Amino acid sequence: MTSLLKNIFKLCLAIIVFGSDVIANDLRVTDIPIQEGGRIKPLDTYARNQALAFYGKRKIKHENLSAIDWLLNLFTNPDKGLDQQIFNIRNPEVVNALELEWTNNFHKYSYNEIYPGVENQLTLIRSIFEKKEKDRDTFESQFAELYQNIMKYREIVSSLSCLLPLFTVYSPETAEYLHISPGQPTSYAHIMSHRSSLFDVSQGILTKPENEWSETEREIALLLYNLQQASADEFAKALKIIPPSKNDSSGLWLSPWELFDGREIEPHQDKMIKSLEKFLLARFQNDISAQNAALSSYKTGLLSYPVERINFSVLKNESWLNKANLFTNSLVFYLLGFIFLGISWMIRPTLFRRVAFGSIILGFLLHTYGIILRMIIMSRPPISTIYETVIFVGFVIVLFSLIIEYLRQDGLGVFLGSVSGAMLHYVGFGYAADGDTLEMLVAVLNSNFWLATHVTTIILGYGTSLMAGLIGHLYLIEKIRVPKDSARLKSIYNNMFGVTLIALFFTLFGTILGGIWADQSWGRFWGWDPKENGALLIVLWQLMMVHMRLSGLAKPDKFALGMVLNNIIVIMAWFGVNLLSIGLHSYGFVSGIAVNIILFTVFELVTGFGTYYWARSKNRLAL
Amino acid sequence: MESLSYRQYLKNFALPLEIRYMKRQLIKLLSSPKLFVYSLVWLMVLVTVGTVSQKDIGLYASQQKYFSSYFFTFGFVPFPGGRIVLALMLINLISMMFKQNLWKMKKLGVIVVHLGGIMLLVGAGLTAMFSSEGSMVIEEGSKSNTVDDYHITELAIINVSNPNYDQYTIFGKPLFSSGNNLMHENLEFDITILDYMDNATLETAEGTSKVGFKGMLSNFNLVELDRDKDDMKNKPAIIFQVSGTFSDTDGIYGLIFGQSVPATLTTNSNQYVMALQKKKTYLPFAIELEDFKKVMHPGTEVAKSYSSKINLIENNIPRPVLIEMNKPLRHQGYTFYQASFIESPNGEETTVLAAVNNYGRLFPYISSIVMSIGLLLHMLVSMPNLFKKKKS
Repeated sequence: MTSLLKNIFKLCLAIIVFGSDVIANDLRVTDIPIQEGGRIKPLDTYARNQALAFYGKRKIKHENLSAIDWLLNLFTNPDKGLDQQIFNIRNPEVVNALELEWTNNFHKYSYNEIYPGVENQLTLIRSIFEKKEKDRDTFESQFAELYQNIMKYREIVSSLSCLLPLFTVYSPETAEYLHISPGQPTSYAHIMSHRSSLFDVSQGILTKPENEWSETEREIALLLYNLQQASADEFAKALKIIPPSKNDSSGLWLSPWELFDGREIEPHQDKMIKSLEKFLLARFQNDISAQNAALSSYKTGLLSYPVERINFSVLKNESWLNKANLFTNSLVFYLLGFIFLGISWMIRPTLFRRVAFGSIILGFLLHTYGIILRMIIMSRPPISTIYETVIFVGFVIVLFSLIIEYLRQDGLGVFLGSVSGAMLHYVGFGYAADGDTLEMLVAVLNSNFWLATHVTTIILGYGTSLMAGLIGHLYLIEKIRVPKDSARLKSIYNNMFGVTLIALFFTLFGTILGGIWADQSWGRFWGWDPKENGALLIVLWQLMMVHMRLSGLAKPDKFALGMVLNNIIVIMAWFGVNLLSIGLHSYGFVSGIAVNIILFTVFELVTGFGTYYWARSKNRLAL
Repeated sequence: MESLSYRQYLKNFALPLEIRYMKRQLIKLLSSPKLFVYSLVWLMVLVTVGTVSQKDIGLYASQQKYFSSYFFTFGFVPFPGGRIVLALMLINLISMMFKQNLWKMKKLGVIVVHLGGIMLLVGAGLTAMFSSEGSMVIEEGSKSNTVDDYHITELAIINVSNPNYDQYTIFGKPLFSSGNNLMHENLEFDITILDYMDNATLETAEGTSKVGFKGMLSNFNLVELDRDKDDMKNKPAIIFQVSGTFSDTDGIYGLIFGQSVPATLTTNSNQYVMALQKKKTYLPFAIELEDFKKVMHPGTEVAKSYSSKINLIENNIPRPVLIEMNKPLRHQGYTFYQASFIESPNGEETTVLAAVNNYGRLFPYISSIVMSIGLLLHMLVSMPNLFKKKKS
């Protein structure tokens, strides 16, 4: 309970903080724009994605570090980062292959622990990468993933090493060349921006024999040597935070190290690099006001980038969305609603049912707000990835549950909404664990109009179909529980049929719209593609149920069973056809889902037929 | 006086009654929702089997077998295919319109939905019968006015003797059964089909005697392969005998789809080029590819868009057009889509446009609107009864 209260409190706080964020104009470190996965996102999202990839969670739990703090610590102290136990290896086989010790409950290893093992296994790794991804077994794909992760980690760790004050000169003469005072540490970036004067001197040194060098010359030679050593980090190009030159048409952003490959540094880039250097130093010294000053001058640098106007409010929205965990909080309210409903079955039915209803409404508002924010951030319709379908189906079911609860006022809607809303959020978290949920789309999907019409309609169809199936379950249960209450059974049956009609409308219209999209982009209305066939099967099944009811082939019990079985078809069409990994819609492929689909199918078959025959046997006994 | 004969009785009274009765029974049967339910069940079976079997036999073969067929056999037992089922559903829907108790104001929504359904099925029928689709493969800088069918092959014998024009003689795939004799007044020789293979490859013939084999076959053998799941990867081949030139030209020839060296045949008076090709349709206009463009999401391997900048050349007048994903070109009944592309190692780009000619394409648009209106009307009528607000 305390955690629930804490969550509510956190949320209120977040909303207040968010309100003030919109007014506050300063750039926060979480909102620093970075290009990754084809879009500009806040550094906070980047940090969370990396933590998720290496550590398996969006924050570093055992050190109680947020993702962004962890990432910034890596930048300011790379050596410590290499010793940080950050790689979560869950497979003992992988640990053995690295000749590491399998610790029973921690399984976290540092780069420096893993790297020697990787170096010994390079032949194995090469042979894994020669295989196609689908031919690799579990060990091989995990080992390959670990290899890619530690290489990437190495790169991230060194991404900003050119901005760290690692070089110190003591002779006043050299210090003057570099525009610093003697004994003051400076960075690779700073030295490189004053390299012309330094290199002129070095030409003179190199022509002289070593034993004739003066103290200053000796220092310069050493500095040059150290610079060359440091430039080994040049490979670290993972952090694309600097907008490119205005003449660069590729649109590819740059990593700080890339600026020192001999290219001309433009004013906005120079300003950003210098501010970033100041920021890192201030962070190292824990000087908050200096950090803020550095960030605000970083923002000035970004704003002076002439080609692309950075939308800071969208970045802010996204890092707020990361922090607010709207869907988690919405899940909490759904569960809370369920608990209150349970209480209402025991004491004060009306009061607690209303409280439960209110709780679901709150959860639903958070759910809706999350979807709207995601739309604003990506400026596209609500559904374009399989993760978003899950979130949206949850939204649809809870919406209809609320309507039903409003009409019936007997807790049925609260029950439906809380159970399915919570379940779908839970499924959604499973998908979110794969990485950034705000992905860019392949060319054919890159059409806002069709995403908004076809995809939204068909997902509305999935949601309402599942809703009808859920009411089908409830109908069969009520038939067993209160077989004599024909008024109640009749009203539930009517609701189920009504939702079925709505579902039929959306699946039918959505499927035809899909055909029209296909006609618009590929020139054929219908191609018997697995996903198309899946959607068609739902439509046919629902048409069948409606006509079986009409022709007397299905009485209410059978109709309810039919709608329960319809759930299986919906899940097959939604996730199952991707398992065939053929056809045009197989972009949503997720491995390991087969087991869940089979479990779901078995569950629906057993509960559906079980309750159906139980209800009928009860009926016969009653007669 | 003799009473009415039984025959007359039948003729004057019973038969008309009987016929009327049978007619009513027939309409009742054909329009029965049960027939619709059973057709739906069978259609669902077809869709499921046809989807799952795509994994093994590929989309094209599965579509041909289960959906675009009237019957298919499983073992020795024939089953109705997609076309029969859809035709039955269409008959069912049309018969329903003749039911007298349907035409009531209350059932307006139902009527409209079913009219929409009829339109959808009619459109599907038109598309299945009359539409054609194929591809145009155009390199940057070159132009084309032919559409190649995706699947159907044809044998082309081209007389190239006249410097002013080429004379094409085309034989279609239905003629390719072994032993068939192909003759045409344009050709001064006869062709006897020896073998046709849906998928084949060339192998060098080592040591085997190749007496009587001409052209490619004097050095190579054509070996039949299993059909590929992806029909586009199949390379059909044909072996035939040429006779009647009474010269050294008579002999056995072989052709394979997409062969790099064209096959030639010389008679006393004429020079021919032969090819086994995808069925070609000639357009009354040409398309020239100026530039193909592929844009990626920056820093990723995910494509953001593909587009072809083309010139549509009609009566020698070019008009620039941009074809993009989701933005096809429609012209003279044809629609051209950005379907694919080929990048050669030396950086030359080739666009692949899908060209479709579909007479039924407006039907889904209209029927979806009609059906939606119908369902909405029906829901408007029925919903208040299905969702009653509890009186508090």
